[in-house]
Amino acid sequence: MSGFLGRLRERRAAAVARLPRWWNRALAGTLIAFGIVLPFFFPADSGFMNGTIIAVAYAVMSLGLNIVVGFAGLLDLGYVAFYALGAYSLGWFGSGFFFKLHVHVLVSPVASTLQGVHLNFVLILIGAAAICAAAGMLIGLPTLRLRGDYIAIVTLAFGEIIGVVAVNGQSVPVGGGMTLTAGNLGISAVDAPYFPGIGSFSLLNLRPWYWLILAILLLVLFVNLRLRDSRLGRAWVALREDEVAAVSMGIPLVKTKLLAYSVGAAFGGMAGAFFGTYYTEVNAGQFAFGFSIFILAMVIIGGLGSIWGALVGGLTLGYINNYLIPDVLNDLPSKFGLHFQLTQVEFGIFGFLLVIMMLLRPQGLIPERRRRLELTAQIAAEDAQLAEAPAGEVTVILPPGEGAA
Amino acid sequence: MSAAGDPAPPAAPAPAVLRAERVTKEFGGLVAVEDVSVDLPEHSIVSLIGPNGAGKTTLFNMLTGLYRPTQGRIVLGDRDITRSRPDVITGYGVARTFQNIRLFGAMTAVENVMIGHHSRMRAGLFGSIFRPSWVRREERETQERARDLLAYVGLPSTVFDRLAAQLSYGDQRRVELARALAAEPSVLLLDEPTAGMNPRESAALTAFMRKLRDEKKLTILLIEHDMKVVMGVSERVTVLDHGKKIAEGEPTEVRTDPQVIEAYLGKQA
Amino acid sequence: METTTISPTLPTVPVRPLAAVRQHVGQWGLIAALAALPVYYGIHDLVFGYQAGYVAGHQVIHHDLSNLGYNFAQGLSNGAIWALIAIGYTLVYGIIELINFAHGDVFMIGSFTAVGLWGVLGLSPGINPAWLVGGLLLTLIITMIVTGSLNVLIERVAYRPLRSAPKLAALITAVGFSFILQNVGLLWRGGTPQSVPDLIGVQQTVFTIAGVPIQRGYILVFAVMIPLVFALSWFINSTRAGRAMRATAQDPEAARLMGINVNATISLTFLLGGMLAGAAGLVYALYETNVWYFQGFKAGLIAFTAAVMGGIGNVRGAVLGGLIIGVIQALSDARLGPQWTEAVVFGYLIVIMTLRPRGLLGEETREAG
Repeated sequence: MSGFLGRLRERRAAAVARLPRWWNRALAGTLIAFGIVLPFFFPADSGFMNGTIIAVAYAVMSLGLNIVVGFAGLLDLGYVAFYALGAYSLGWFGSGFFFKLHVHVLVSPVASTLQGVHLNFVLILIGAAAICAAAGMLIGLPTLRLRGDYIAIVTLAFGEIIGVVAVNGQSVPVGGGMTLTAGNLGISAVDAPYFPGIGSFSLLNLRPWYWLILAILLLVLFVNLRLRDSRLGRAWVALREDEVAAVSMGIPLVKTKLLAYSVGAAFGGMAGAFFGTYYTEVNAGQFAFGFSIFILAMVIIGGLGSIWGALVGGLTLGYINNYLIPDVLNDLPSKFGLHFQLTQVEFGIFGFLLVIMMLLRPQGLIPERRRRLELTAQIAAEDAQLAEAPAGEVTVILPPGEGAA
Repeated sequence: MSAAGDPAPPAAPAPAVLRAERVTKEFGGLVAVEDVSVDLPEHSIVSLIGPNGAGKTTLFNMLTGLYRPTQGRIVLGDRDITRSRPDVITGYGVARTFQNIRLFGAMTAVENVMIGHHSRMRAGLFGSIFRPSWVRREERETQERARDLLAYVGLPSTVFDRLAAQLSYGDQRRVELARALAAEPSVLLLDEPTAGMNPRESAALTAFMRKLRDEKKLTILLIEHDMKVVMGVSERVTVLDHGKKIAEGEPTEVRTDPQVIEAYLGKQA
Repeated sequence: METTTISPTLPTVPVRPLAAVRQHVGQWGLIAALAALPVYYGIHDLVFGYQAGYVAGHQVIHHDLSNLGYNFAQGLSNGAIWALIAIGYTLVYGIIELINFAHGDVFMIGSFTAVGLWGVLGLSPGINPAWLVGGLLLTLIITMIVTGSLNVLIERVAYRPLRSAPKLAALITAVGFSFILQNVGLLWRGGTPQSVPDLIGVQQTVFTIAGVPIQRGYILVFAVMIPLVFALSWFINSTRAGRAMRATAQDPEAARLMGINVNATISLTFLLGGMLAGAAGLVYALYETNVWYFQGFKAGLIAFTAAVMGGIGNVRGAVLGGLIIGVIQALSDARLGPQWTEAVVFGYLIVIMTLRPRGLLGEETREAG
């Protein structure tokens, strides 16, 4: 069986090698062009477009988490914290929430008359990225000396704490009668994005929203691709594969890991800010642990560490969760005479998907080119005792012919 | 490849480039290394030998910063590196290979060697994202250097872009060596470099070590079990047993030292 | 150079003061952090007093420690329930290094099963006490069998096939199963907490110690927990199967070579952990008089925190951790407000991970720090 697959892979590699050099760019260009014109095939307020917008935003999150978990191998179970911080960046700096302040930068004529802090959406995006980058470093700091499972627990704990702060922030004063958050009631009446010359977005016309999130996605994709094939990207993979060897090769552990957390968090924050404005409110109920798992599932089902995998995983799960199940298939059980709607078993379906994926195809839909192999598991076990192995024991028999000096 | 003729004669009173001064390492109740002092004269090749569990790799790990000595000092040149981090020590010019090959299996041979060059590169986060011309040049040069090093260590160019985990054992050893050399070290620590090799390959590696010392002006410390290699390449041999240094000197002297023989073979009946 | 043989008599190695300090800062820092809340509020109560009721329109202020004692009694009882769940986490992690995310939801299924059995057996408050006790014992046994089997089933289906896969895969599967179980609970009893009959009059005070009322609920919890923990300890320490568990936890390969059936031992571990979770489920239903599909997730996080705090892999540690967390929770609920309790508990988790990753009673592992 493996012989057949191996030959298949070789044939595919040979075919790929024969493609002209401009192939990749042409393919990318076509896909981007397709993405840009997509909205014109649907009505301006179509449910499908709504699902697509959300799916693309999820893909941005997925790409962000892929840097932390996929590239650097840091199991972050608290990614919802960055969704929250990004959304709150929008709630704080793009609405009337801080009603005692009057700050307006490049906002619509209507918004510039309102109280509160109103910054242009692009500025909020940058702010969200910066806030989350800093938060990412803070959250990463306690995990630096811990190994896999413990990192998961600490990041999970941070995610939960942020959730609690989000809920209780309505009783945390920040001066002038204003509070930190609006708890479960939520910060509503947040600004829609506004660009001079285009005007304010409205939810009646979803197309500008789509192009906005598509632009963000392309930006995040670009950064991901650049990082993957760079000194930093290699350092992340090296740390993931074998921390001891990586450090011995001169890779600074703390700085490199914190950078992974920061960059991943920044992307999550940007998507969070977008969600905040698209959902038109920021309330604490949006930030539950299940969200972290949801994004993690996107990365894993897509293919841990693979950029295209994270993208596909994000889009797929985003569509399933926000379009397929609630809009398309919700009545499926009643067609079989069962008395519940599909959204009620969403969780269970999702859990089932996770289990099946792990049992049948743990490497994901689009495995990372640099696949994590059994080798690393072996080395991790040997790491447990960094002592000498009994010498004289030849660990591998040298294959005949090859490698002879 | 330079046109170097005869290898440089071993410099007996050369200054020590890397020194362990009375280092001890305890793990809980277990004393792995006890009051060991070793010094590496510049441009020499020194072997560290001893039976299993003698503390050789532990000593290596202290020299490279992976372990912190419970007692004693490690000095590189005139710099005390006892408490330095491993990546910093690599930046100072100390590189190593591992006893059980620790390549990054999911990366190609070339990428592995490029990682070795990490401490000599300067591209940071924004450099990696925006790729100004100096970063692109750095990447290109690092790749070229990596390929040159792989050729230098004798890896066939057909496997340069193969995933490291798919290479043969001998090729993996070569890649590890190239990776260590990519750090542009002045001191090279090799942990059982000839493990798993047949005599022909060991001899080739022995010659290669001399070439490294001469062409790249390296100081080499190696842990070895193959006595032919030890006798053939070392200018000095240090013997550890149960964490203590029991002998040190020229290879021929150490070979006949009764304590050394006893450590390896047990008391003569 | 001449051969020199060196064999000095080595002086005893003096402990470097800085290293010793660092080692102990972790442990004592943790203990100080844990003691901070009780000590602070104890002093607060003594100095400023607390309101103990109204008499003839005036507040009655007491300056003693019985309020604190009440918090402790509450906390220890809650904590005992968490301890039972925490043992399951710690056993499984000790033997296969997996955080069984679904364990908390097994506990929830235990509660649901127990409540269901009450209906089947016709248990309700006010029936003949002997019938009640008998019925509850039967419920306990059946529930433990159900949850134990459920845990074994999950291991068989979801974790065993992935034993050689990267740890992340099994972790994800565990989360997946957690979601599946939660959905089962959701469909079974709906999305909101459901109150269940107060079968034993759980809040009735049985007696008072130093002004602290001891409720029936406290006695119930400890009456279940203490025998179970002792039975488990005896099992692990004195039986062959228990020794097999300990051996496998230390070194699965060596255990296999010694002839131990590692698969069966792992299944046994899951069985025992699941049974304890089921017992915890029944006790929880009796104690809290309500059940909720989401209780497992919450309890799971708390219990796992307890296991980690006590030292993962260590049964006594899990019990200690559970009790400590229970007290922290009770103090936070009463003094800071229940809306902050979760953040407080997780704050403590982060403190532990930073100061002493191996926990209070755990052994030092290279990986954890």
